[in-house]
Amino acid sequence: MPISHIMASGMTGIRAAGDLVARMQFSKNMRIKEAKEYVAKKLGVDTMDLSDEYVMRELREELDIGVITSVPTAAKGIAAKMNIEKLLEIEINSCDLFRRQIA
Amino acid sequence: MASKEELIQELSDAVISCKKDRVLEAVEKAKGVMEPAEIIEKGLAAGMNEVGTLFERGKLFLPHVMMAADAMTAGVQVLEAEMPVGEQKKKMGVIVNGTVEGDVHDIGKSIVSTMLQSAGFEVHDIGRDVPIRNFVEKAKEVNANMIGLSALMTTTMPGQKEVIELLKEEGMRDRVKVMVGGAPATQAWADKIGADCYAENASEAVAKAKELIVGK
Amino acid sequence: MATEYALRMGDGMRISLTKEKILEELEAGSADAADLGEIPTLSGNKIEKLAEILMMPGKAVSVEQGMEVPVTHDIGTLRIDGDQGNSGVGIPTSRLAGCMLHERAFGADTMELGHIDYSFKPVKPVVANETQAMEVCQQNMIIPLFYGAMPNMGLYYTPDGPFENPGDLMKAFKIQEARESMEHAAEHLTRDTVWVMQRLMASGADGVNFDTTAAAGDADMFGTLHAVETLRKEFPKMYIEVGMAGEIVLGMHGELEYDGKILAGIWPHQQAPLAAKAGANVFGPVCNTNTSKTSAWNLARAVTFMKAAVEASPIPCHVDMGMGVGGIPMLETPPIDAVTRASKAMVEVAGVDGI
Repeated sequence: MPISHIMASGMTGIRAAGDLVARMQFSKNMRIKEAKEYVAKKLGVDTMDLSDEYVMRELREELDIGVITSVPTAAKGIAAKMNIEKLLEIEINSCDLFRRQIA
Repeated sequence: MASKEELIQELSDAVISCKKDRVLEAVEKAKGVMEPAEIIEKGLAAGMNEVGTLFERGKLFLPHVMMAADAMTAGVQVLEAEMPVGEQKKKMGVIVNGTVEGDVHDIGKSIVSTMLQSAGFEVHDIGRDVPIRNFVEKAKEVNANMIGLSALMTTTMPGQKEVIELLKEEGMRDRVKVMVGGAPATQAWADKIGADCYAENASEAVAKAKELIVGK
Repeated sequence: MATEYALRMGDGMRISLTKEKILEELEAGSADAADLGEIPTLSGNKIEKLAEILMMPGKAVSVEQGMEVPVTHDIGTLRIDGDQGNSGVGIPTSRLAGCMLHERAFGADTMELGHIDYSFKPVKPVVANETQAMEVCQQNMIIPLFYGAMPNMGLYYTPDGPFENPGDLMKAFKIQEARESMEHAAEHLTRDTVWVMQRLMASGADGVNFDTTAAAGDADMFGTLHAVETLRKEFPKMYIEVGMAGEIVLGMHGELEYDGKILAGIWPHQQAPLAAKAGANVFGPVCNTNTSKTSAWNLARAVTFMKAAVEASPIPCHVDMGMGVGGIPMLETPPIDAVTRASKAMVEVAGVDGI
């Protein structure tokens, strides 16, 4: 059933920009329109592109914010999230923990 | 002097107010004008039905339902003391209610028990995670008219069917009605396992229990 | 003979209805929600839009391009390996694998780590296991990862907990004692939830998802809102989602208030501002499916409630659309035609911010 919802209505996570829009909703209480506009502005794309795999596949790799396939040397996990922090100007708890651990 | 209609309204409103004093006061006023049975049926019971509806609509809450039931019981007791033997209000029926074995969900089932009790049934709530045989044994012990079976998980629903099978084995199925409920239960499921009815919520449980046991 | 369209009953059974009958069912479902919640019914063009969605010929339907919303996941880690019979599909995998499958294979926008019992109270004795799992998952994942569980206040009553069962007390007309029992249980619920989430936040969790809030009535919501308030003070940047158990908060206690509002008997549009006030970032409104009614009736009813909640809410609303809620049939394997139609309707007609 969750896959039915993702196919019907979802932003498809890191296939496109769903994780980024969700982060703005949860970190800044942004409604859907505002969250999409904020992320689109930061990425330099149109809000329509946020669910477009064609646009986002290349852009995510360029920005090094995590891609769905196994691209060698591309940022993964915490490293990708640290780049997302900078891109969206937010703080992510797991990145804070990592910074404390290596300090 | 208040008309009969006004007195009936006053009795009903007194029950809805959940205040015992108001109910007793309204009963005292109505006693000289109406027969006790009429006071109970048209005034107090009608008020209690409205309390059930208001609970379902989120306007009254469970403590109110209990207070209203308590107030109504006090009013009925006053009237019964003055009624000839044989005319006193008979209990509507005896119901054993519980959640089937393996299922620890309690709250919905307890609300149903409370609402049935408030509606005038003698309810024996035997709890949650109840072994199949306990339903049948309890029904024998209290000479129940109906067993209510709650299940909140698809994995425990078969327990409802097992109780019905055991009732058949014990030769009790003809005299004990079975009601099923709980989130995954449906009318189709009730039909499939041979239950007498399915209730979507507590007020429907009361309505269907009345229909099955009292015939109204 | 009028054309008939394939719809579902609330239990998932296929039925055929004419357009006229579909419109009739939609209007009745919307009117039921409006009557109960004292909210507006859906306008004529919204009803027409719902009918259009329900009558679409394809098996699966979807939102118009550009209207997509984040789909957040609860209990997803357990859907893969869970074997409790009604959620999991029993494929042996770790919870890390479950999370990563949702992120990398299924396209989930957010994800949640939960444990098999899925209530906060039983996390206490196994919290080290949960923090370990959270740390490993956070090292590997990119999408927001919550810790999620149910407040499930019933676990604080006998025979599972220390306080006398208010259901039993009520039946014995011990109303004051029942209310006191609920108040004690709510205090413990707040304390346990905060304790568990302090540890999960120290292990890098993005936040918390309260799943099925108010399942045990108004005191359950009272305890949860106080937990949200405490967590928000301690963790200003924590992601907090408050998801509900049903459209109405059952009045088990009847007198508990939050922010000056009686919690008992409140509907989604009244719940959302309170969740926001407590400090939630996202509210998850719920409308339960009536299995004896058609999918048209259920969907219109759910959309009417959700639309009012979205309009009243100061924070994003991610509507709960699992089995038996949000217009979706009450079936372990909800039909894809019904799920996708409900999904599209919630986004395009109710205007929800996420699912």
